[in-house]
Formats: sequence, C-alpha cells, structure tokens
Amino acid sequence: MTSYVLRRLLFAALTFFGITVATFVLIHSVPGDPVSFFVGRAGAYTLPKEVIDAIRAQYHLDEPLPVQYLYWLRGAVTLDFGESIIDRRDVTTRIAEKLPNTLQLNTVAFLIAAIVGIPIGLWSAARSGRLAERASAVGFFLLYSLPSFWVALLLMQLFAIRFDILPLFGMASDDYADMSTGARVADRLRHMILPALTLTYGQLAIFARFSKSAVTEVIRQDFITAARAKGAGEMAVMWRHAFRNALIPMITLLGITIPYLISGSVIVEQIFQWDGIGLLYMQAILSRDYPTIMGLTVITAVVTLLASLLADILYAVADPRVRVGERAQ
Amino acid sequence: MNEESLWRVTWRRFRRSKLATFALWYVAFMGVIALLAPLLANRKPLLERTASGWSSPALEDFWIADPDLDKPARAASYVLRAPIPFSPNTIDLPQRLTGPANGHLLGTDDLGRDLLARMIHGARVSLTVGFFATLIALVVGSLFGAIAGYYGGFADWIVSRTIEVVLCFPFLFLVLGIVALFKPSIYTIMIALGLTSWTSEARYMRGELLRIREIEFAQAARASGARDARIIFRHLLPNALAPVLVSASFGVAWAILTESALSFLGLGVQLPTASWGSILSTAHEHIDYAWWLVLFPGLAIFTTVAAFNIVGERFRDALDPRNDA
Repeated sequence: MTSYVLRRLLFAALTFFGITVATFVLIHSVPGDPVSFFVGRAGAYTLPKEVIDAIRAQYHLDEPLPVQYLYWLRGAVTLDFGESIIDRRDVTTRIAEKLPNTLQLNTVAFLIAAIVGIPIGLWSAARSGRLAERASAVGFFLLYSLPSFWVALLLMQLFAIRFDILPLFGMASDDYADMSTGARVADRLRHMILPALTLTYGQLAIFARFSKSAVTEVIRQDFITAARAKGAGEMAVMWRHAFRNALIPMITLLGITIPYLISGSVIVEQIFQWDGIGLLYMQAILSRDYPTIMGLTVITAVVTLLASLLADILYAVADPRVRVGERAQ
Repeated sequence: MNEESLWRVTWRRFRRSKLATFALWYVAFMGVIALLAPLLANRKPLLERTASGWSSPALEDFWIADPDLDKPARAASYVLRAPIPFSPNTIDLPQRLTGPANGHLLGTDDLGRDLLARMIHGARVSLTVGFFATLIALVVGSLFGAIAGYYGGFADWIVSRTIEVVLCFPFLFLVLGIVALFKPSIYTIMIALGLTSWTSEARYMRGELLRIREIEFAQAARASGARDARIIFRHLLPNALAPVLVSASFGVAWAILTESALSFLGLGVQLPTASWGSILSTAHEHIDYAWWLVLFPGLAIFTTVAAFNIVGERFRDALDPRNDA
C-alpha cells in the first residue's frame, strides 16, 4: 500500500512539473514583449525607461527562459504568482476571494446531480433493456449535447422574464446589505437556482450513466445471484448489495468531474455574472492579465491533479485488487 | 476477416438503428447546407441575364468568407433568386428585431439581418471548425498513440504522462487562453481545439496498437524486415482506425459545441461573420423579447451536436461483434 501511494505521489509530482512547464511555455509563446505581461501592452510603450528596466530586473526578464521559469516556479510552489496588472493586488489573494463563490455554486450543482443522478442510474441498471429505460438513456444522452449557454438563456427567458419569479443575473439583490441573515441566505439561494440548474444537467447525465455502468458491472457477479437466490427483495439487492459495491468505481468520478465543473463555471459565471473564478478568468483573459491567467491555470490544474490523486488512493484503499494488480503489471 | 467486410458488417449493424440512420442523414443534410450556403441564402441572384449575357453573381461568393461585397444592380431580363433572398450581412435597420414572418422566415437580429440567412452561413463555420479541429486531433492523437503503443517502454511512458498533464487543465481555460491570447479567428480555434482534444484519440490508438502489434500479420511484417514506419503506417494504423474514428465522431460534436461557446463568449469567430454561438450572444443582449434569436440558433447547435453524438454512439456499438444478432 505504502509503495503504491508513494509511486502515485511521484507521478503527481511529475505531472505538477509538466503543468507548470506547459503553462509557462504557452504563455511565453504569445507574441509580444514580456514586459507587457506585467505592465500591460500600453504600459510597455508609455512608461519611462527606468521603470521598464526596473521591471525587467524585478522579474528577471533579462535572464534566459529556463532561468526565468525556475524563478517563476519558485514562486508558484509557494502560491506566489505575483501581482495582477489590473489592480496591483496579489494574484493568490484575488483568487482566494472569488473561490468561495465558485465552490458554493458547484457544490450545490454537484449534490443535486449526485442525489438525482445516482438513483436514476440504479433504476436504469435494474430495468436495463426495457422500453422506458432505453427512452431515458436516449434522453440523458441528448443532455450531453445541450449547449449550457443556450440552456441558461432559455431558463432566463422562462423564469426571469416570462414568469418573472427569479432574478436574471447577479449574486444578490440591491438591498442585500439591509437584510437579516435569514433573508440573505434565502436571497443567495434564489440567485443560485438558475446558474445551479445550468451547471447540474450535464453532471446529471454523467452521474446517471456512470452509476448505471458501475452497477451493471456488479450485478453480473455471482454474489448478486446468491443474494437473489437467498430470497432478498429486488430493492435490497440493488441498494444493499449492488449499489454499495458500485460505489467503489464511482470514486473516480471525483477526479473526472472537477475539470468539467471548472470549465462549466466559466460559461455559467459569465452569463449570470456570478462573481467566481470563472468570471475572474474571463476578465483576466480579456485584459491580458498574465500573472492572473498563469496563477488560475496552475491552481485549477493542480486542484484537478489533487482530486484524481485522492481518488486513486481512495480507490486503492477501498479495493485491494487495484494495488495488487498494479504490482502484477 | 478482411478490412472491407468489417466495414460492411458495421454498416449493416449501424443501419439497424433508425435513430442513428436518421442522425446520419441529418449530418449529411447539415453538410450540404454548409457547402451550398452562398447559393441558399444570398441577396444576389443565382442566375441572371443582362446585356452582357448570362452570369451567376451568387456563385462568386462561394469561396469568400464574407460574401457581401455587392455590385450595383444591373438591368436584367431574367433573374433567378436564391431560396432565401438575403445575405447574412445585409443590414436593414428598419426591419431590426422583427419576429418570424413571411419576409424573414425566422425573424431578424438587432441590425435587421435575416436570421435564417445567418444560420445557414453559420453552419459553414460550425462544420468547418468541427471537421478540421477533429482532423488535427486525429492526426496528433494517432501519431502519439501509435508511437506509445508500438514502441512501448519509455516512449509509452512519456506519452502517457503528457496525456495526464493535458487532462489536468480545465479544457475551456486552455482553449480560451490560446484563442484569446494569440488571436481569435477560425484558424486559431481549430488549432486550439485540435491541440487540446487529441488525448482520447491517442488513448484509443495506443490501446489498439498494443493489442494488434502481437497479431501474426504484424509479426510477419516485422520478420520480413519492414521498417518501423512502414509497419505502423501500412499494417497497423489501418487496422486500428475504427475505434479511433468513433472517438473522432464524438470529437466533432465536442468541437462544434466548444466553438459555439467561444463565439458566444465573444472569443470565437469574429463579427460580422455569422456563427451560431455569436447569434446567441446577440440574443443574450435582447433576451427580454427576442425569443426567436434564442430558440433557433440554439436548436441548430443542439440538433447538430446530438446527431454527431448519436452517430458516434451507434458506430461504436456496431463495431462490437457482440452486438451481432
């Protein structure tokens, strides 16, 4: 077990190295004077020469690229990505401010998707091949193809304009500051409904499909036949025997869904003006705020890396065959 | 089993699904619309007879990205109009934001441009991006996958680690970053999508090559002294193609979806070129009443993406010999 975890950790360290190299190379292959990465494109022309030279020295821009990379990497491992060119504030602080908003929205979406999607997956596995199941499978399959920004626009048009029962965008009403705590929570939840729904439906399809295939894999095995033979009811077989064992492969969903959630956040936060890291990334991209772009890219990639590392380790803890099988290879 | 029979058997199994066959026809239909867009929606006549003889002004727009460079109208004795007599960029301010009606079948946008004409030309953008982005992914992915699967060992290790790194990035961050920082254009989008989505093709190719490189015909090729490149390209790649093509079919769907998202965010194909995503971005500004601007382009994206996904799914099932009833 220890050697398995150690090997996974070593791979993760290598992947982290790859993430930072890829980010650095990508950003530095953008045409333009790197000084503009730190002072903006206008600043590179208008600032006095002494200031430009000071910036070159401060960020080691006169050194060869590999040396620049090492300086940057030294900052990155301590979560120091420099300061934003927009407001001169620390990039990590700016990200930390916005992260809770994104987490709130994504946690709600993730929970709804799991609570609704997993039972549907179980039901589909039990009813596999029947007409209703096949129809619902096609339906879920179609959910994958729905563009989230279109769904968002339709929801807005229906609930915020036609029926006028939910806010069109934003995270809080204008009088948020004067509200009591309870009213604030209710207000935040009201603003969360449409963006969360937009984030949820794609996740729902992933959960339903993944749990269906995990359960289908399990119910082919002998101990399910044994459970049926001893006279256990169908509900008991599905929940107690099949579902519990299907949970193990579903651990991997943790690592799979996070990059999708973050990607989805960019679109949803932009449409609903939800003040999270997706919106921050769009703003950084549009104003060519390189320190923020690099910081956000590395941090989100590392979050994904950690989630899949955690999933791998949990999987190995829950299912010894994994670590044994790995050694046998 | 020779190669030809595999494709024929697969096609026979494929056709057994009515939904998938319909989806395939729909894809072909969209392809024809994209190909013939300048002849379907154009304010210039398809055919006209003037003092200087017969000519086809609409045909001149065929290869031009922005087909709205107009010539002064000439006196014509015979005129054959396009089915939709509007060009995608014909601005008509008095007609702005009118709903579906007889003149403009699907209504107009905020500059009075015909929605249907813009959607027909938008199909060109979507399908071109979808096709070429997937082609790039297919070439890059197959190459990396083939090297990893054929040589194994260190080459395989490097490719697998590279895939892991690419998969860690939220794909939209990567694509948005590349497109915005370099230069938003249809070519940047194709390259950015191609370079970020080759991983699944590479995985399938790697798996297939690991499997078939040990089969007798591959070993026979090796024993006959063929060079590695020849073995890979002549003998192994053609036999490993089917599962990779399945993944490419999903890839087209994904690329169309992502292109429309980029255009919606304003970082895709740049105005005035019509794209389904950019029409929806206009719709966002007029969401309080212009429902037709939301509904129709969204339906176009959804149905096209769904069709490619259904075809891919059925293609995968059809390749599986266990599904042969």
